[in-house]
Amino acid sequence: MESVIFYLFSAVLVASSLAVITVRNPVHAVLFLVLAFFTCAAIWLMMEAEFLAITLVLVYVGAVMVLFLFVVMMLDINISVLREGFVKNAYVGVPVALIVLLELIAVVGRKEFGLEQMPAPVRHAADYSNTKELGRVLYTDYVYAFELAAVVLVVAIIAAIILTMRRRPNTKVQNIGEQVAVRRDDRVRIVKMASEKKNDGSAT
Amino acid sequence: MISLSHFLVLGAILFCIGVAGIFLNRKNVIVLLMAIELMLLAVNMNFVAFSYFLSDLSGQVFVFFILTVAAAEAAIGLAILVVWFRNRRTINVEQLDTLKG
Amino acid sequence: MVNFEIPNFVPALPEIFVLTMACVILIFDLFIKDNDRIVTFVLAIGTLVGAMMLTISLSETGRVLTFNDMFVSDPMGNVLKVFIYLVTAVVFIYSRQYLKQRGLFKGEYFVLGLFGVLGMMVMVSAHSMLTLYMGLELLSLSLYAMVAFQRDSLSATEAAMKYFVLGALASGMLLYGMSMLYGVAGTLDIAGISAVVAQSPNNIILLLGLAFVVVGLAFKLGAVPFHMWVPDVYQGAPTPVTMYIGAAPKIAAFAMVMRLLVEGLGDLHGHWQTMLVVLAILSIVIGNVVAIAQTNLKRMLAYSTISHVGFILLGILAGTENGYSASMFYVVVYALTSMGAFGMIIVLSRAGFEADNIDDFKGLNERSPWLAAMMMILMFSMAGVPPTVGFYAKLSVLQSIVQVDLVWLAVTAVVFSVVGAFYYLRIIKTMYFDKPEDTAKIEAGMDMRIVISLNSLGMLALGIFPAALMQWCIVVM
Repeated sequence: MESVIFYLFSAVLVASSLAVITVRNPVHAVLFLVLAFFTCAAIWLMMEAEFLAITLVLVYVGAVMVLFLFVVMMLDINISVLREGFVKNAYVGVPVALIVLLELIAVVGRKEFGLEQMPAPVRHAADYSNTKELGRVLYTDYVYAFELAAVVLVVAIIAAIILTMRRRPNTKVQNIGEQVAVRRDDRVRIVKMASEKKNDGSAT
Repeated sequence: MISLSHFLVLGAILFCIGVAGIFLNRKNVIVLLMAIELMLLAVNMNFVAFSYFLSDLSGQVFVFFILTVAAAEAAIGLAILVVWFRNRRTINVEQLDTLKG
Repeated sequence: MVNFEIPNFVPALPEIFVLTMACVILIFDLFIKDNDRIVTFVLAIGTLVGAMMLTISLSETGRVLTFNDMFVSDPMGNVLKVFIYLVTAVVFIYSRQYLKQRGLFKGEYFVLGLFGVLGMMVMVSAHSMLTLYMGLELLSLSLYAMVAFQRDSLSATEAAMKYFVLGALASGMLLYGMSMLYGVAGTLDIAGISAVVAQSPNNIILLLGLAFVVVGLAFKLGAVPFHMWVPDVYQGAPTPVTMYIGAAPKIAAFAMVMRLLVEGLGDLHGHWQTMLVVLAILSIVIGNVVAIAQTNLKRMLAYSTISHVGFILLGILAGTENGYSASMFYVVVYALTSMGAFGMIIVLSRAGFEADNIDDFKGLNERSPWLAAMMMILMFSMAGVPPTVGFYAKLSVLQSIVQVDLVWLAVTAVVFSVVGAFYYLRIIKTMYFDKPEDTAKIEAGMDMRIVISLNSLGMLALGIFPAALMQWCIVVM
């Protein structure tokens, strides 16, 4: 049963990753990448990495891929130009990639990593919480790396803002302070004028 | 049963797809950024698999940080892409050709 | 319950100080007017000076591990950190005029620069693959943003795009290698990996991990055949950013190689020596030969960097303490010299004009004999002509590889250094024997002239009295 699930998800994962780099339309590529992340999360669940699997879906599918989609949509890309090409380098590239892949498989697919050498660990009991265990080490043993991760995110924020923020001179913005500080006199002016003679009731 | 090799082979396949995506793609910079994400996914697959079979949490912690850094990296990569697009009006990889020598 | 001991923060004080100051400067910068931006600049320099004093005051303690062994403070790290601060501070001083003339004099340049310094410090002090990676990414992300900083320039943004894609590819390679090392060792700790490697030095998985790690490092160092980003990024980035990338990060990269290959995988020396020999030879040959054909000075210096990276690798691959200290000496000297060479481009540039073509140096002697003399010292130092320090750096690296019987390697390196000397000498010829095309007055302020003079004369002084610095590099190994 487990094997069936593994092969099913792996097949979807490999097929969708291949699709990411081969389809011509970038929007489709983003959606295939989303699929790849989803199936990968499922495979991680099989390895009891629940927290990371959920993070992958939340952070990657939820935030990063949406960011990709935004950029794809925002840039006014001429897809017809992007439709050509790719085949040009494929004659050299694909065989090289395949050879590297076979070599890698020859190394990592060896007996050393078979079940006899490295048996799968006993599954944890139902009350085991992967999230709790990760949290426990994250804020104690790995607190230094955790702080560094915060700094990396700050740098990303600074970089994204200085690179893309443009001040447009004629945009309309609210000035809350001014709005709160407004007085009656700034908004309405009461003028005295002589009342007009009443005619048949219709306003002028 | 599924052994560690199975997961590592899957990781190797994903990694090669990612690297091939970077070298083969001549048209679309966004796809390059996505190929980078695939590579990191492959690395994460390796770490998670080793972490499970070694019953050692530090691999999962590493994945946690790779995910964080990759999200930051994607943000900066897309920001650079947007700035470049504003200057060049294309995301064609072959147009990355002003600097030569 | 969680049993958690508060880690010893004292060894990491310089890091904490730089981080705090970077955040303070970031916020403070929001509240000052463009005309007072100089305050940010002074604060940034002050931060580096303060960090330097902290590091020096901590240098007596010897080797200390903290943060669950993820952080190490040792003499080698302290010396490298001091030079990182020094180089970065001088780069900031050089940058000011250039940035001002082009309307780029913003706080973010200095803030990102300081975050980059923090990343380098983390790399230098890493004692775990995790912190090594975090430091590397902190540095790289800051660098990507700094390259694209001049966002309306096509060449800068294009350089940033290339740098980003290849940098991310390199990180991916490095991580794949690290995942294999973790798989065999079962730990991320450098000392733990070293212990496992000592037991099974011929494990093929370890070798696979090693190969990927070396490829990743070679990408980051810019060694041939993983050098394609170097010339484009050097040429495309704004000159102060090129100067920043070319100087201090090389020191950090040296530290990364030392931590990973020497401390972690020292018992695989026989295997990585072969890989580094190939990288070093290719870098020295291709760097020196291709540099001859360049007309753009920044691009030429990029290829010269590649050849210098080859020399740095030579010392490391010797695998002896002599070799490591020779390499360390070389990398520090290279960082200081390259800073001066890029500084000269900035000195000769002015608003709307980049002095980044070799032709822009024509007849510099007639325009300013003093600056021409300074440039001559810098070029001599890069080429390795005595009595400049570049000669001594090359000599000590070559000595260390002759000691391990790699004479053919030393001979090849010398031959191609002589080839390389040609393009440095060509610049000197251009300065002294050609007629100036550009007769505009050199606008550089007095501060710039003083800094560049100190920089060049320092190279000469170090060449005459190399013993102190060399002694430092030997003691800390």
